[in-house]
Amino acid sequence: MGRPTSSSSSIDSPNHFAFSSTASSQRDLTTDLRLGLSISIAPPFVREQWPPMKAAVAEEEHECNSSTFYVKVYMEGIPIGRKLDLLAHESYYDLIRTLEHMFHTNIIWAEAEMDRDHYEKYHVLTYEDKEGDWMMVGDVPWEMFLSAVRRLKISKC
Amino acid sequence: MHKKMAFSFPDEVLEHVFSFIQSDKDRNAVSMVCKSWYEIERWCRRKVFVGNCYAVSPRMVIRRFPEFRSIELKGKPHFADFNLVPDGWGGYVFPWIAEMAGAYPWLEEIRLKRMVVTDESLELIAKSFKNFKVLVLSSCEGFSTDGLAAIAASCKNLKELDLRDCEVDDLSAHWLSHFPETYTSLVSLNISCLGSDEASFSALERLVRRCTNLKTLRLNRAVPLDKIANILRHAPQLVEFGTGTYTADVRPDVYSDLAGVLSSCKELKSLSGFWDVIPDYLPAIYPVCSKLTSLNLSYATIQSPDLIKLVSHCPNLQRLLVLDYIEDSGLEVLASSCKDLQELRVFPSDPFGAEPNVSLTEQGLVAVSLGCPKLQSVLYFCRRMSNEALVTIARSRPNFTRFRLCIIEPKTADYLTLEPLDVGFGAIVQYCKDLRRLSLSGLLTDRVFEYIGTYAKKLEMLSVAFAGDSDLGLHHVLSGCESLRKLEIRDCPFGDKALLANAAKLETMRSLWISSCAVSFAACKLLGQKMPRLNVEVIDERGPPDSRPENCPVDKLYIYRSIAGPRFDMPPFVWTMDEDSGLRLS
Repeated sequence: MGRPTSSSSSIDSPNHFAFSSTASSQRDLTTDLRLGLSISIAPPFVREQWPPMKAAVAEEEHECNSSTFYVKVYMEGIPIGRKLDLLAHESYYDLIRTLEHMFHTNIIWAEAEMDRDHYEKYHVLTYEDKEGDWMMVGDVPWEMFLSAVRRLKISKC
Repeated sequence: MHKKMAFSFPDEVLEHVFSFIQSDKDRNAVSMVCKSWYEIERWCRRKVFVGNCYAVSPRMVIRRFPEFRSIELKGKPHFADFNLVPDGWGGYVFPWIAEMAGAYPWLEEIRLKRMVVTDESLELIAKSFKNFKVLVLSSCEGFSTDGLAAIAASCKNLKELDLRDCEVDDLSAHWLSHFPETYTSLVSLNISCLGSDEASFSALERLVRRCTNLKTLRLNRAVPLDKIANILRHAPQLVEFGTGTYTADVRPDVYSDLAGVLSSCKELKSLSGFWDVIPDYLPAIYPVCSKLTSLNLSYATIQSPDLIKLVSHCPNLQRLLVLDYIEDSGLEVLASSCKDLQELRVFPSDPFGAEPNVSLTEQGLVAVSLGCPKLQSVLYFCRRMSNEALVTIARSRPNFTRFRLCIIEPKTADYLTLEPLDVGFGAIVQYCKDLRRLSLSGLLTDRVFEYIGTYAKKLEMLSVAFAGDSDLGLHHVLSGCESLRKLEIRDCPFGDKALLANAAKLETMRSLWISSCAVSFAACKLLGQKMPRLNVEVIDERGPPDSRPENCPVDKLYIYRSIAGPRFDMPPFVWTMDEDSGLRLS
């Protein structure tokens, strides 16, 4: 974790305790992605352990640090959810592949084809957006999806 | 010649009188009247409170109080809650358990906060204390469900098992089954911190069914909504209940089951849990809302309209914990509906977001301060504040005893005037004469510390971050706050001068934490040398402090008074400065 060590700057320097909200980000993202995602890119030495909250309450929603974006995924009928790093995926196809593997099922999304005779083998993938609405995954461009998604749900057909 | 005082009582009479004195402070005062009172008091003290487990050794406590039944110990400094204390720092309870197990078997109650508790410690408790009744572990870590199984299996008279905010290694779901079928004494069970625990629902149900004195039950997230009805059905006498996950597919049978069972709990006063809440199931709790005095919604990610509906059903609410989804509008409703409100905590739903995601500002806090005459304790996270709002709050609510404000962005100025918030917090300490705890935030100069030193005479705990201009700030606090016991500071320009000038003050306090400030290693050594009754501990993960120039600031410093001398269980990144520190540091 990148904390600047005190020995590298003089104690009397006015910058020693300065807080700059425009310090360079440690993330390696395309400009589009950074603009689309309203994730804080405050310098780690301030963001670390701030604001002062106990872990359980602070980590409830998104866990966003320098290059990950974890969202919760629940499958219908199973109370214990999983967490998935969306930024570890390049595209919808990548995401679907991971989910099918994680949950051992076939996933229906906007671009999937389904064998209608065996619908019980399929699950539908939806996501909750910033407005709290549940939408089918795959209709909007991947980057737009990343900026809107809050969590995922896999439901029976 | 012996002259017997006309008014000296036999010891038994004094002992009987002392038995009515419960508070530690009063007990301590009694013990200082004279030698014979000291002796009588120490033999009849039944509850011991040790605010810092390193301030005294277990042997010293046992020697002084040979017959205590209940002990409360606190370990790590408060900033450990925010990950500022590295793992392995200390706070081990085992030495205490080992000494007490050896000394006497009649210990009944152990309450621990921020301590490291191992399975070995739990097993030793289970084995050593035949009449063990109460185990409360608050923000503790280091143990697994195996240790809990040992407690369950052996403690036949256990009444209370409370694991609030603990980090537990969830090895086996079956520890609950270790409570024997003959065991029925449980009164309070809080397992809300446990992870997945699917397989033990039937054990839990059976336990609840046979423990007819159960008053408090806080479940963990893994307990699904449709199982709650089965559990509650057997415990209509519950006073405090924490749900598990509060989401499920909306089914009328599950809903009516739940609503029916909840409405038969006539004694219910406190609710918590509510992970993953979906609004459809909230009305199930409306029948119990009118009696509720405490509601913890800090995991309930529901929006303002649903929160407003819920809160308007609870006119007797005294304590509310909620996410900032409640927004200013919700807090206004709270202010008009809940006139008995004493404590409010509002947590941020998106603390790391760059932009506010909800409409929660200083207005919400102002509304509640104006509307709730009994409000005395507040923890409030928001993104903007003004001096005007703080002055209004202070004037309308002089009965605050705890005021903790966290403006999320460090060094945020008054959004109306762009000035520091010195005047606002100054008003808080000036008007709230009984203020015992204060947390500051926002843009603050040395001025605010001048106000605090001048007015905050009853202040016992102060938390400061990203504030002040110079040592003068720290000096104001240390020289002015007569009742100060705990001071925790991070990222402030406070250095050697104020600390060394006020060294004697530190012996009147429990502890001082200073991190990412400007206290030099030289000053730490000096303090350690001059003040033998203080443990001056330097915490520095960069390596030994003497591998850098003496005037380099240390990373973290924890100073506490102690009659036990320096501790010996320190990890490699903690150094104690003592009288010989100039000579033997390596």
